[in-house]
Amino acid sequence: MVGAISRPVRIAAWIFVLATGLFLLAPLVVVIGVSVSESQFISFPPDGLSLRWYREVLSSDSYLGAAWISFRVALLVTLTSTLCGGAAAIAINRRALPGSGVLATFFLSPLVLPTIIYAIGMLMLWSAIFGPVTIVTIWIGHTVITIPYVVRTTLAVLSESDPFLEEAAQTMGANRFQRLWLVVVPQCLPGLAAGAFFAFNISFDEAVVSLFLRKPGLTTLPVQIYGQLEFSPDPSVAAVSTIMIALTVGLILIIDRMLGVQRFASS
Amino acid sequence: MSDRAENLILALPGLLLLAVAFFVPIAQMLLLSVQGEEGLTLANFTRFLGDPYYLGVLWRTVRLSLLITAICALIGFPLAYIMARIGPRMRLWLIVLVILPLMTSVVVRTFGWMVLLGRSGLVPDILRSLGLAGRNFSIMQTESAIVIGMVQVLLPFMTLSILGVVSRIDTRLEEAARTMGCGFGATLRTVVLPLALPGIVAGSLLCFTLSASSFVTPNLLGGSRIQVLAASIYRSVTQTLDWPFAAAQAVILFVGVLLILVPYARLGGGTR
Repeated sequence: MVGAISRPVRIAAWIFVLATGLFLLAPLVVVIGVSVSESQFISFPPDGLSLRWYREVLSSDSYLGAAWISFRVALLVTLTSTLCGGAAAIAINRRALPGSGVLATFFLSPLVLPTIIYAIGMLMLWSAIFGPVTIVTIWIGHTVITIPYVVRTTLAVLSESDPFLEEAAQTMGANRFQRLWLVVVPQCLPGLAAGAFFAFNISFDEAVVSLFLRKPGLTTLPVQIYGQLEFSPDPSVAAVSTIMIALTVGLILIIDRMLGVQRFASS
Repeated sequence: MSDRAENLILALPGLLLLAVAFFVPIAQMLLLSVQGEEGLTLANFTRFLGDPYYLGVLWRTVRLSLLITAICALIGFPLAYIMARIGPRMRLWLIVLVILPLMTSVVVRTFGWMVLLGRSGLVPDILRSLGLAGRNFSIMQTESAIVIGMVQVLLPFMTLSILGVVSRIDTRLEEAARTMGCGFGATLRTVVLPLALPGIVAGSLLCFTLSASSFVTPNLLGGSRIQVLAASIYRSVTQTLDWPFAAAQAVILFVGVLLILVPYARLGGGTR
């Protein structure tokens, strides 16, 4: 800390942090508040206290169906994106392929391009070749937009790792596969884990690709919520949203246990 | 098997996936935007650029994105600076404060703002009881609602971009400035701000791009009367089903984003 910072500046900084925190958390707090309301209508502060909207959600086929689709997609995406992205990051890090600088840019490009542009292209291509979209379309779409995160987190970890370990393993007679599986992959593990969490979270919360690729019977949870919000939201939307917030909090806690949130944030 | 073969095999699944499922769709979109009944045409572009309504949509998109980016930078820089200089325990809490909203679905956060800003919501209520607003006052369905919602959505991106740079600034530089008689404000302005500039620029580009291309929050908070470019694209795809026109609008957005990103990448600051 830089020496003397005057009292007024300190107080101003605290007020600023509190106000910003309030601003950042307000919508989440409000959603949680509405979800425990007794009233038919959306109101904040809540009228009364009840869990009826949670019962409503847990017995609603449309919410449960959407949640099941979202969950399956997110799991598949986590798997494919971690595999493809992690393997690519190892190859990029070795800088052995011609043009590996270009390769990194190539793998990070879905991050730079606005998702809406990609979503519309995906919809048009899929419709032109295969016709109606399916859950596979969303799976592929989400995998593409999450791969850069896995590549980035894995590269960040690999760039700090010791490149001579692999050489040492080679000198001691480890074959190519053993070197990869027993030396390189364990080194990548924190990066792969962080990337996998990113992939799951993004896929589960993503609305843009899913909205463009929506059709009756193929709505993910965020799309379902969006649809409700466009027409007539009742507090059950708040209950679903609260469950999603709770999932996010759970994910952050796991990440903090495994990797430390600070490290996660800096990637 | 050679080293090169091994690395190629490692990179291949991702390479193929991105080539087929990322670059081909974009090519398809580009192609569709110039496709007419008979052969190639620029009709979709001239329709957009010749219609005052769509030009208005484009101008609103640029104007709001600039405003949102500026507000994010104004809040994000002090927040990131405080995060970098505060004690480790507090820093952890502040990082959670920034990451929790970031990792929550945009749809959920926008819903929160709909409740807060709606006619009987907390914000208009407070403004009314302070005598700052009339009885029928509502923020929903206005540009202000879009700006408030989008700033909350994008502030975490800006803050983390700046934090990455600010936390690497050597505190001894600030100490040196203070020892030589610089006040706190002057140190911030002449030492920290110039060093943080790469982070602010990167964060601003990210915010501008994300804000120009988002439609979920603008649609829900601004309503159908206040259209932005991305919302108009979404409407062309899902409601009027005019895909070539949607593709043309997406190309216009794409070109706009490239015009902003390419000079920056040229400057060599391309790594985020």
